[in-house]
Amino acid sequence: MSLLEVKSLQKIYTTRFGGNQVQALSNVSFSVENGEYLAIMGESGSGKTTLLNILASLDKPTGGEVFLDGNNIVKIKDSEISAFRRDNLGFVFQDFNLLDTFSIQDNIFLPLVLSQKPYEEMNKRLKPLSKKLGIDEILAKYPYEISGGQKQRTAVARALITNPKLILADEPTGALDSKAAMNLLKIFSEINEAGQTILMVTHSIAAASHAKRVLFIKDGEIYNQIYRGSMNNDEMYQKISMTLTVLATGGVKGE
Amino acid sequence: MNKIFYPKLALTNLKKNADTYVPYILTCIGSIIAFYTMISFYGNKGLDEMPGSINLKTILFLGTIVIGIFSTIFLFYTNSFLIKRRKKELGLYSILGMEKKHIARVLFYETVVVTIVSLTLGLLGGILIGKLLYLLLLKLLHFTTPIQFYIDGRGLLITAGIFLAIFFLTLLTNFLQVKMANPINLLKGGEQGEKEPKSSWIVTLFGIISLGIGYGIALTVKSPIEAILLFFVAVIFVIIGTYALFTSGSIALLKVLKKNKSFYYQSRNFISVSGMIYRMKQNAVGLANICILSTMVLVTISTTVSLYVGQENMMRDQYHFDMLFVGENTGNDEALVDESIQKTAEQTGVNPIDQINLRLGNLTAFLEGDHFMPDLVAKEDKDTNYYTTKTDVWLIPLEDYNKMSDTATALNENEVMIFSVGDNYNQKTMTFGDRSFSVKENLQTFPLNNKKTELVGKTCYIIVKDEGVIADIQNNLYPDNTSKSLLFGKFFNLEGNDETKLAFSENVFQQVEGINPDIDKASYYVSLTEWYSIFGGFLFLGVFLGTLFMMATVLIIYFKQISEGYEDRDRFEIMQKVGMDKAEVKKTIGKQILMVFFLPLAGATIHVAFAFRVMAKMLAAFRLTDTGLILICTIVVTLIYALIYALVYWWTAKAYYKLVK
Ligand SMILES: Nc1ncnc2c1ncn2[C@@H]1O[C@H](COP(=O)(O)OP(=O)(O)O)[C@@H](O)[C@H]1O
Ligand SMILES: [Mg+2]
Repeated sequence: MSLLEVKSLQKIYTTRFGGNQVQALSNVSFSVENGEYLAIMGESGSGKTTLLNILASLDKPTGGEVFLDGNNIVKIKDSEISAFRRDNLGFVFQDFNLLDTFSIQDNIFLPLVLSQKPYEEMNKRLKPLSKKLGIDEILAKYPYEISGGQKQRTAVARALITNPKLILADEPTGALDSKAAMNLLKIFSEINEAGQTILMVTHSIAAASHAKRVLFIKDGEIYNQIYRGSMNNDEMYQKISMTLTVLATGGVKGE
Repeated sequence: MNKIFYPKLALTNLKKNADTYVPYILTCIGSIIAFYTMISFYGNKGLDEMPGSINLKTILFLGTIVIGIFSTIFLFYTNSFLIKRRKKELGLYSILGMEKKHIARVLFYETVVVTIVSLTLGLLGGILIGKLLYLLLLKLLHFTTPIQFYIDGRGLLITAGIFLAIFFLTLLTNFLQVKMANPINLLKGGEQGEKEPKSSWIVTLFGIISLGIGYGIALTVKSPIEAILLFFVAVIFVIIGTYALFTSGSIALLKVLKKNKSFYYQSRNFISVSGMIYRMKQNAVGLANICILSTMVLVTISTTVSLYVGQENMMRDQYHFDMLFVGENTGNDEALVDESIQKTAEQTGVNPIDQINLRLGNLTAFLEGDHFMPDLVAKEDKDTNYYTTKTDVWLIPLEDYNKMSDTATALNENEVMIFSVGDNYNQKTMTFGDRSFSVKENLQTFPLNNKKTELVGKTCYIIVKDEGVIADIQNNLYPDNTSKSLLFGKFFNLEGNDETKLAFSENVFQQVEGINPDIDKASYYVSLTEWYSIFGGFLFLGVFLGTLFMMATVLIIYFKQISEGYEDRDRFEIMQKVGMDKAEVKKTIGKQILMVFFLPLAGATIHVAFAFRVMAKMLAAFRLTDTGLILICTIVVTLIYALIYALVYWWTAKAYYKLVK
């Protein structure tokens, strides 16, 4: 059984006063195996964030189903959804989403504190993780005192510390300079090697070329996919660019 | 660029920032109304005609100055808040290619709009509301003569001048802000929040000590005079302590909580403690302001209401009789006074009743043990110490005492009876120079006065065998004093309606003044109208300033809610993304906001509780000694204030929740 199974997902936004309807996702199906590193690519407005929000159970689809480890997350009760999210998913967002009221350490601890883990346990998890992500020196600082790259690594630490089944990342390199972006992608590759399943949404070719598989989304539908196979990052980059060119020059849905 | 561009942009800006600028303009209008009202009352000729008008005018003058200073500080405070919130917007202009002088021009036009709107509405409002308040003032003063209300041209000019100056200065500070900042700073300005206070243990300790000293002074004050002198010292200590504790103490305390790992890393405490640290850092100064302002409102209104409510009773304590005359019986003065009383009584239909006529000897002395020492202090050396330590001695022949109290006591040459106001005279003997007496009886009641403590100095009535003894005592104490004739005293109450009683009193006063200006006279009703003008003036000013401070408080709360709202909006979202459910987030944040805003009220209530003793002592200086009454007034005022505060909180919280939703 796949870790994540998405079946004919559909999302229609209705503006508040009826009126306009926007079809953000029309029919999306795919699955993610344990240990996979999947990138979903698409132009701005193609529905990537919408898809991720649904997978994150932050939003409900208009139609279709999402199974995580066999559980239909669309059907989870509202009262259990937060706990479910905390225990099974980790998030990395474009704009970091760190709380300025907390130190770096406390930002990372936040999901564990919410799950009422004892302090010793939290600390035990934090030590190796912060070392690996290169933020062990800045744990006592506050978000406004550190760089963007450090913020994003903090966010990754916060996502990883719960040992989630799946990491969801929405444009994680979007607000970083190229050096910090490369650093982050390296970290993603490493944690994936260590067995962590990652689903990343991005419009950056450089970011996507690190993934093991890339899905292309256009007008709310899966358009194409590329497997890395034995390609290295550069070859992957070439392949993705080509696919995107085809996509942009309006090639009909490619079969 | 065309000329109309900047004014137009200025207008658009004001509209866009309406949720902060409308309250700001309302503050300006309120301040102008308050200032004009005060200054026009001060300049009002009609008020000169009422009894005690000099006192009232002094009160109004002080009020004008207080309002002027307060408005200036407060408008600067709000302005700096507004400009900080808008730095981002201004930074954007400069990034879009506007030069600093263009930005300055926009700011200039904005200030022009604010000034025109505020001054027009403020002065118009001042004229209208001033009229209403004038009627209220007259009512509080118990002043019934209709006085033409007029528009005070000079007051309008002064008000306009002062506020133009204030607006001009705020504009200058805004220019300075723009000039000093680079675009990046401007862009970040809104996020920097208020200056972060450092939490150091030294400051915290300093705050505790300061507050302790302030409270200590308040709790140990002995006399009314001391209360008045030390009150301001205590106020300053308490203010310093409040600021230190709000800024440093609160954070130090929270940090202690944070250090305790097993407490801090509980999901509920985790969010609240760190949230509170952050909020206190941002808001400590503002909250301390609210706390101090609230305390001022409570103290001012409580004391003035107490004075006003208690004035008739306190006058009664002081005036045992409705009227009294005491004078030297030179010529035919006593008979003339009697005649004038009788004549006026027939004219006005007021009857003098409970009349007591007696002969008295009067002297001042210093009591040391059982020795009455002569008062040799020169006129220019008579300071507060003199007035608090001297004793007023009234010597009364036994015959007159027996007559007025309907007794048949007997005394020999060397015996006296004494009635001492306040504490009992606790010696068995008393000595005037070479002459000693044994005290036969310590009287507990006396027809001429009550036992309540005198506030300044002491008074006692000594009954001796006869006039000869009185003369002997006076000779012993003051051998050089030539006039030793006895005084006549007349004490009586009045029967009739209150207004004719006042007319009677004033009428007789005038005649007695004509007979001999040296005759001492006192009338409960005349004094009461005089005191009405003072206490009415105080109450008016108290409520007026109280309302003003309250308005300021409301505004600070409102602005704080808005800035909290902007910041919490993002926090709200993040917490949900990280795995807190919506209801939970709302609950914890709601609780923090509640705590932040009710902390100042709690602080103010504690301050008032400690200030109570000083307040009571100070009021005692105005001869209001009814502590129960003061307590009730203070509690009622505090409760009403808390209620208003809660309503304001509830109303501003709606603005907050609208933002975070
Ligand atoms: N809350 C919303 N309400 C209405 N329309 C929305 C909402 N969020 C996104 N959309 C629309 O759905 C489409 C997909 O948006 P999004 O998923 O954010 O795209 P992406 O992340 O790929 O740039 C866009 O056309 C966008 O305008
Ligand atoms: Mg997006």
